[in-house]
Amino acid sequence: MKLITHNMLTSKCLKGVMTGYPLAINATDVKVKEVDFNPEFITRVIPKLDWEVLWVAANSIGHGEGLPKTLEPKFEEDEDLLKRVHKVLLEVEVEEGNLTCPESGRQFPISKGIPNMLLTEAEVQ
Amino acid sequence: MDEEKKTERKRKRFAARLKSSKGITCTEVPGPNLVLCNGGQATGLEKSAIFSLIKENGISITLPKYIAEKGETYSFLVFNTKEDALLFYNTFNGKAKADNKGTPLYMNFVETVPNKDIICPHENPKGLLLLNDFITQEEEKAFIKLFDWNPECNNLKNRLVKHFGYEFRYGSNDVDLSSPLIEKIPEECDILWKRLEEKGFDVGVPDQLTVNKYSPGQGIPSHVDKHSPFGGTILSLSLGSDVVMDWKHHSGKYVPTLVQARSLLVMQDEARYDWQHGIQPRTWDPVIENRVENSTKIKVITSDTVPRETRISLTFRWTRSGPCECEYKTLCDSVEKVSADNLENEVASNLEELHVHQVYEQIAGHFSTTRHKPWPKVVEFMQGVPPGSVVMDLGCGNGKNILRRDDIVQIAGERSSGLLSECKEHIHGIGAADCVRLDLLHAMLRDNTADIVICIAVIHHFSSQARRLQAVSTIHRLLRKGGRALITVWAKDQTKSNYLLKSKQDQVNETQAETQITVGGVNLPVHENRTQFKHQDLLVPWKLRKVSENKLSNNPENTLLRYYHVFEEGELDELCKQANFTIENSFYEEGNWCVVCKKK
Ligand SMILES: [Zn+2]
Repeated sequence: MKLITHNMLTSKCLKGVMTGYPLAINATDVKVKEVDFNPEFITRVIPKLDWEVLWVAANSIGHGEGLPKTLEPKFEEDEDLLKRVHKVLLEVEVEEGNLTCPESGRQFPISKGIPNMLLTEAEVQ
Repeated sequence: MDEEKKTERKRKRFAARLKSSKGITCTEVPGPNLVLCNGGQATGLEKSAIFSLIKENGISITLPKYIAEKGETYSFLVFNTKEDALLFYNTFNGKAKADNKGTPLYMNFVETVPNKDIICPHENPKGLLLLNDFITQEEEKAFIKLFDWNPECNNLKNRLVKHFGYEFRYGSNDVDLSSPLIEKIPEECDILWKRLEEKGFDVGVPDQLTVNKYSPGQGIPSHVDKHSPFGGTILSLSLGSDVVMDWKHHSGKYVPTLVQARSLLVMQDEARYDWQHGIQPRTWDPVIENRVENSTKIKVITSDTVPRETRISLTFRWTRSGPCECEYKTLCDSVEKVSADNLENEVASNLEELHVHQVYEQIAGHFSTTRHKPWPKVVEFMQGVPPGSVVMDLGCGNGKNILRRDDIVQIAGERSSGLLSECKEHIHGIGAADCVRLDLLHAMLRDNTADIVICIAVIHHFSSQARRLQAVSTIHRLLRKGGRALITVWAKDQTKSNYLLKSKQDQVNETQAETQITVGGVNLPVHENRTQFKHQDLLVPWKLRKVSENKLSNNPENTLLRYYHVFEEGELDELCKQANFTIENSFYEEGNWCVVCKKK
């Protein structure tokens, strides 16, 4: 699971959960896989992210180094920053671990890089 | 001497390569585990070849466990002792042949081997009883002699079949009580009921027997014996070979069980009425072990296999008439009939579990060999996605619609873990693509996050109108304002596609009553492939073929039934409008209705 994906995952579908966001990450295996850097793409994606959620997520798995807590305007001119964002969004992958719903504590396992977000019939709204 | 040096050099080179490309650590310290560096599933090396090597060379060791992972050019052997492994290594390293071209097989010791064991967390179905060694070997021989008839007499696709008492009719899955067969159940079988009675099971005397002969490689699709024509007990005597029978429940439980030769299987209650059972078409079965861990009994499906022999099964049933009176409704054919559109959510969900989700899990490997090309219209749509967009492919299957683009985010969501792991492999190397296991009805993704959603050949698997609308509404929820979706479904009208086979169409129009299967009170006709659809809600057979040497061989098939709701013209448009979409484009393409719609 890449952090770009984590930025969009929620457990709101769980019965009794209001927002279910963001999910806490508990990683037992994190890998970094090299991906070609595309600055225009990163510049376009950043505004679509919940920045603070990305910042917390990156720090929680030990890859937050050099990421500012808040995003300055004109971030697109800072190539170093874009590279760092590129790395945490696309290169860092949680291979094993789990995600935890902030409200219910329900855990979703991540195995072989894939988070399992299936619910049982009894769990849905 | 030179030869030995060469072998050593090769062996060490393989060890280094395994370390760098596969993360496998070889060791110079002998232990019970070996890795065969250049022989595995992908090179066509088989367990039997290793075993005959040991036997032919007269080496007295216990046969090792063989572990070969799919698609890999190496494999592992786990010996009982270090001494056995060392003897094997000293005898065969660099000397045995890895293939028929005569390439030497190289091996290294390893500390650990991958654990491919699967723990089955569920108990056997309630009402399932396996009485092992129910008959003696002599009795088994006598039964085989009695029933091993002339093979020309009757051929039911992949097994041979013969009936006593009443003929079992495969179209309607029942018997015609008004025309009993002259041949009754042979009296040699009487010892079975007597023996059952002695063991405290007073089930009476059955009046219908079906004998099936299965060669290795043949199986039987998952099914429940139709409720109303038969009583609450079904017996099955196995002769000639052990086999693994798979049991499936609509709650999602999946339980493989070992059915031994000479055992009598008694099916009652839940096992009789609420579970489907079947046998996979394989020439081998996994070894199933019962272990005790933390003082609880667990069932482990190991990666080790045993070959199948020819198996004869005797299925004894009690005929009856009138509607079924069981208390299990999902698979009962006597539940009050309802129209599929108004299915209760629970029934719809059970139907999809059995006839969509479990089927896709089973066909995952086969699916990708036949569906590797994306449709041109989908590729065209995906190519037109503006850079920087967030795209969600919901029901992505094996990921064939994910483009190799590094300027868009592509989130691939899929319910089937089998398909999703193939998708994960497929998207390897695409920078901003990622996989999530999810259910479209409860997609655990944030509202208003996607610029684009594609949902290709998915919505037709939801079995009620309410669920289809919920699926389209989910797509709407995930899109940002102004975001667009491409949705495609299978069309009822196939006249303008390549799907129809002209010759078959004519033929089928004249044939007799169609097969029907009842799930949750809904009668679902089983579709004849490559013909025009006659119904909107139906089961479409999927034939599993064995993949051998990368070619689809014509070996016996296993038929799985996938549920489809095929769409009438305008039906998908209407669904999108109900979900508050604006329709931008609506068209028919190769047997599918396709809609491009926009969130207002
Ligand atoms: Zn019934």
